[in-house]
Amino acid sequence: MKKSMKVAALTAVGALAFGASAAMAEITVVSWGGAYSASQQKAYSDTWTGGKVNWESYNGGLGEVRAQVEAGSVQWDIVDVLPHEARVGCDEGLFEELPRDMFTKAADGTSMDDDIMVDVPNACVVPQIFWSYVPFYDKTQFPGAKPQGIEDFFDVVKFPGKRGIHTWANALIEMALIADGVAIKDVYSVMDTEAGIDRAFAKLDTIKDHAVFWSSGAKPLEFVKSGEVVMSLAYNGRIGAAILGEGEPFVTMWDGQVIEEEWLVMVKGSENYDEALKFLIHASAPEQQAGQAKYINYGPMRKSAFDVIVAGEPWFITPDGKANIMEHMPNRPDIAARSLYADPVWWADNGDEVAERFTAWMSK
Amino acid sequence: MTTATITSEELLAADGTLLRISLQRSLRRNKIRAATLVAGPFLFLILVFIIPIGDLLLRSIDDKQINEVLPRTFALYDEWDRKELPGEALYEALFLDLTNAHKLALGRSSTRMNYDKSGWRSLIKKSGRKFKKLEGPPYKEAMIKVDKRWGDITFWYSLGSMIDPYTFGYYLNAIDYRYDADKNVIHQPENRSVYVLLWWRTLLVSFLVTGFCVLLGYPTAHLLATLPLRTSNVLMICVLMPFWTSLLVRIVAWMIMLQQQGVVNELLVWSGILDDDNRLSMMYNFTGTIIVMTQILLPFMILPIYSVMKGISPNFMKAAQNLGASPTLAFIRVYMPLTMPGIGAGVLLVFIVAIGYYITPELVGGKDGKLIGNLVAYHMRNSLNWGLAAAMGTILLTGILILYWVYDKIVGIDNMKMG
Repeated sequence: MKKSMKVAALTAVGALAFGASAAMAEITVVSWGGAYSASQQKAYSDTWTGGKVNWESYNGGLGEVRAQVEAGSVQWDIVDVLPHEARVGCDEGLFEELPRDMFTKAADGTSMDDDIMVDVPNACVVPQIFWSYVPFYDKTQFPGAKPQGIEDFFDVVKFPGKRGIHTWANALIEMALIADGVAIKDVYSVMDTEAGIDRAFAKLDTIKDHAVFWSSGAKPLEFVKSGEVVMSLAYNGRIGAAILGEGEPFVTMWDGQVIEEEWLVMVKGSENYDEALKFLIHASAPEQQAGQAKYINYGPMRKSAFDVIVAGEPWFITPDGKANIMEHMPNRPDIAARSLYADPVWWADNGDEVAERFTAWMSK
Repeated sequence: MTTATITSEELLAADGTLLRISLQRSLRRNKIRAATLVAGPFLFLILVFIIPIGDLLLRSIDDKQINEVLPRTFALYDEWDRKELPGEALYEALFLDLTNAHKLALGRSSTRMNYDKSGWRSLIKKSGRKFKKLEGPPYKEAMIKVDKRWGDITFWYSLGSMIDPYTFGYYLNAIDYRYDADKNVIHQPENRSVYVLLWWRTLLVSFLVTGFCVLLGYPTAHLLATLPLRTSNVLMICVLMPFWTSLLVRIVAWMIMLQQQGVVNELLVWSGILDDDNRLSMMYNFTGTIIVMTQILLPFMILPIYSVMKGISPNFMKAAQNLGASPTLAFIRVYMPLTMPGIGAGVLLVFIVAIGYYITPELVGGKDGKLIGNLVAYHMRNSLNWGLAAAMGTILLTGILILYWVYDKIVGIDNMKMG
């Protein structure tokens, strides 16, 4: 009798534990690693009361996601993707389409999709951040006249010295045209013509012999710090981290920056659909969006998150206190006039062709 | 064998069956037992190696998907004269294909169509949304009204190159050629031609790196094999330590050494050999790629050569010199031919690894840092053009197999010694 009681009790405990673990499914979130993943972890999963969240890193692209979906063994639940992948993946059915009305509204009642600062491309995407390609320099290298923006970046006569640029075409085409005098609003209509692309490459030719190429985000900072180049393009978050976290004398030239979107998506066929959806709702709420800006200077996509940050300044957590973060945000209003939002539709259409041309240009 | 069969005709085994048959039976049993033992690994090999690779290689010629999405259009396509915009019938066929296609299949097809001509992706997507509201026929006018690109004949030409369910288009693409609307092979426009250049560069890098590895590795291996044990052990550690060190650590170390503000340049400027404006550029260019790759792949050359040299008796050299050869002659005529199997193994190893390398060149090569491997990775991961990636992979694989065959003809694969 006693024994059977024990067995029954054990079974009950086991069932409870099992039930609990089923409700608290572990989800796997895949992002880019480094300080960026760390900021997401602190802002999203450390404030999350659901099940365990495993963070993994990847190098971008949809290769792995497509392989997992095609093979029918989906290991990743949520992936952090670039604008191009956000569109192609949803079109190809690699991501789940999500119930938009379940997401948290802004404080004034605006729905999430209307609260996002760009048009929402499809029902798969959940807002993350804006980041940008932006030129910067070390102010100790320029005791006299200082470069002001993208035009000076492309002007090796006025400001001699090497330039750090990345090894792919995105943003470089746009920047070359802006530096060549194309108005921000006309950039993509110029790029729609063959002559416009020729014009961009002609402008790139002027700095080719002065260019040092980088392919990983940490390099441009090393380049500028060591004096290998006098100016470089970089991801704005890397520059901000160096200024805010390490006190480097870097100056970001916001003029002519190219802003890119970053979205979260759920992989089609995720076994933890419910839990992953809850996590996405949590991560995209204004508080969490704003919370991420405590740890990295990428701009939240939701307008209402900006309100939270502005009200809470100094918002950013530095090693020895707090600092204002709005002046390091790529999508803040006061620099909007000279900022270009990259057009993922243009890149989805022309990206492969321009990539080939860019590789040919680089190699010859 | 013949005698055995003749005599065994009459012999009987203990249970009364013919000995020959009984022997065959037991041999068969042994064979089955042996087969079941290797069946596991064999199945494993097929499942994780041959099928996936075969599947990927098939993708390099497979163009079925687009044919499943646009059957009506392709059925009518060849009736079009290709001089001016097609007539209403072809427009209607395309309209019906696009409106009847499954949304996801259409998404994938537009990805594929966009490889052939930029713009298909947004054209298909936009049309997919607007065609639902379209009332036809006639469709031609209405479609051009939805998007004026439907009136652009080049989009219609582009369809012609996708019409076959199996295509060599991806292979052509991998060597800067393409099909036009009439399936003629034409060259890619000059400013998009990049693959041939990269194939040559990849070959050049692989040959140079292999050559430098032989030049540096052979003397090192000789030293390792001939020095007294105590010294050679220390030297061996010097060879193996970098081999065990993380690839990225070694790459970064080279960056610190060789960049323009790096250790080597600083030393040269400090010692007055170079002045400050003429610093050597040894990093983020072709030179950097060669230096770093040579250092990384050197152990793959040293180790096989060393193991062969270790097995060569010093008496051979002594005998040659006793018979009147000078040390140089003895080295060239006796010692070197004996080390050939090691060199062969080393060359093959280094070359094969080098030809598929891409992370190192990407990091240290600057504008010359793109090799074929980078483009394969790009098309697998970013453009999702798996057909093209598979075609390039197949070309690489074939190249290596040819190299292996040539090596077998010249040196003989049985002579190869991996250590």
